[in-house]
Amino acid sequence: MDTGIWIERLRKAELKKPVAVVGSPGLRSVGNLVVNQLIDATKAELTAELYSSHLPLIYHTKPSYVSHYLLPGVGGARVKQGRVDLPKVQFYTCPSPSIVIVKGYHANFTGQYSVAEKVVEFLSEFGVSRIVVTAGYGSETRKVCCAATSPDIIREMKETLNLEVEYTGPFYGFSGLVFGLAKLKGIAALCLFAGTEPAPEDPEFPDPTASAIILEVLNQMLGFRR
Amino acid sequence: MNVEIKILKKFVPKDFTLISGLPGIAYIGKLSVDYLIQQLKAELVAEVYSKYFPPYVLIRSDGIVELLRNELYFLKDETAGDLVFFSGNSQAFSPEGQYEIADTLLDWAVANGVKKVYSLAAYVSDRVFDVPNVYGTATSAEALEEMKKMGVIPLDEGVISGENGLIIGLAKKRNVDAICLMGETRGYQTPTGQYIIDAKASKAVLKLLTASLNLKVDMEPLDEQAREMDEIIARMAEVERRIKQELSETAKKPSYVT
Repeated sequence: MDTGIWIERLRKAELKKPVAVVGSPGLRSVGNLVVNQLIDATKAELTAELYSSHLPLIYHTKPSYVSHYLLPGVGGARVKQGRVDLPKVQFYTCPSPSIVIVKGYHANFTGQYSVAEKVVEFLSEFGVSRIVVTAGYGSETRKVCCAATSPDIIREMKETLNLEVEYTGPFYGFSGLVFGLAKLKGIAALCLFAGTEPAPEDPEFPDPTASAIILEVLNQMLGFRR
Repeated sequence: MNVEIKILKKFVPKDFTLISGLPGIAYIGKLSVDYLIQQLKAELVAEVYSKYFPPYVLIRSDGIVELLRNELYFLKDETAGDLVFFSGNSQAFSPEGQYEIADTLLDWAVANGVKKVYSLAAYVSDRVFDVPNVYGTATSAEALEEMKKMGVIPLDEGVISGENGLIIGLAKKRNVDAICLMGETRGYQTPTGQYIIDAKASKAVLKLLTASLNLKVDMEPLDEQAREMDEIIARMAEVERRIKQELSETAKKPSYVT
C-alpha cells in the first residue's frame, strides 16, 4: 500500500465543466465554514477522499496552517460514533450547479506541496473550468476582496461582482498552495477573501459572519440558492 | 514535482557563464545578481518551482498569486559573452531540497554548455571595517590565483551554507570551473530576525565580478543604496557598542546575596 498520497473514489460523477470551490481550516475557519455550508446548500454528494501520510492527526503548530519543518505533528486515527477514520481531504460533487467542493486539510511542512499538487491534478480530471479558493484575512472591515491567477480574472471580478484587490502578502496552508499550483498548471483560479477579526488566543475560532458574505458572492457566481 | 524548470522563452546559450545568488545572509548574493539583472536588462527566460520551498504563496499588490520560485535570466553581452543569472525569492528549506535544486540547475547548465559558474554569497565577520573585503574560493588553483590578483582574499577555512555553497560544491563534482565570491558583512538582523540588506558588501563583490568578466555596469544606484545602508549599519554598530559597554560595566559591579 502506498501511504504517500492516495485517492479513494467513492462514486462516479459526470460533471460539465464544473467550478471547484476550495476551503480549509484557516484564519477563523472561514474557508472550512464556506465549504461546509455550500455542501449543505447544494446537497453535494461525497465523491472521493484523499489520504496521505503527510496529514497529521495532531498538529504541533498552532494555528494548524502555519507549519514548521521541525514540527511534523503526529499521525493517527480518529474514532467518531464508533467508526475509525483517518485525516483526509474530501471531494463533494453537485451536478447543478456543476461544482466540485474540496474540503481541505493541512498537510505538514514537507507534504504541503505534494498534497496540494495531487488535489489540483485530481480537479483537472473533472475538467474544472475554474477553481475558487475561499479564506479569511485579518481586517476590521467585513467585506470580500479577491486575488487571482491572472489580471483578466481580477478585471472580471471588478466588473461583475464589484470585488477589489485588498489583501496582499503571504497565504499559508492547503488553500494557498492549491491556488498557487493551479496557476502553475494553467488552471484559472481566484480567491475570495473575507475580512475577519483575528482571534490570537484561538486563530481558527469560527467566524460564520465572514463565511456568510463569501457564500453570498458564491451564490451570485454559481446561483445555488433558488 | 520535486523541482521543475519551466522554460518561458526559448533561448540558446553558448559557452555561458552562470552567475548565481540566492537569498541568504544580508541578501548579498541575491542583491548582487538582481542588481546585474536590472542594470544589464537581462531577460527572464525560465522559472524554477519546487516542493522544497517553504509552503506558502504570495499575493502581489495587483492581486496576482505567486508561488515561491527561482528564476533564470539570459543576456548576450558583447564583451562578457553569454550570461545566465540565477536568483529568486527563496531557498529550499532542507538539505535534501537544497541539493536537489542545485543539482537540477547544474544538470540543466551542463546540458546547455556552461563554461564557468560564479556563486555570490556572504562572509560574516566581526571585524570593524570601512571597506568590506571580498573572500573567495574556487574549484581550481588557477582560478583562485586569478581572483587573488584582482584582490580577492582566498578563504582558507570556513563554511558557505545553503544553495550558494552547494552550487560550487556540486559544480566541483561535475568538473565545472566554479568560483564563489563572498562579501564581508556584519550580518546585522532586525529584532524579528530578518537580515538587513548589505548593499556595500554587494558592491564590493560586484566590483570584482564585473572586472573579472569585463562587464560594464553603472554602480551609482548601488552606491546610493550603500550610503543609506552605511548610516543604518553605523547606528546598529553604535547600539552594539553601548550594549557591550553596559554589559561590561554590569559585570564589574559587586553583587551580594543576602
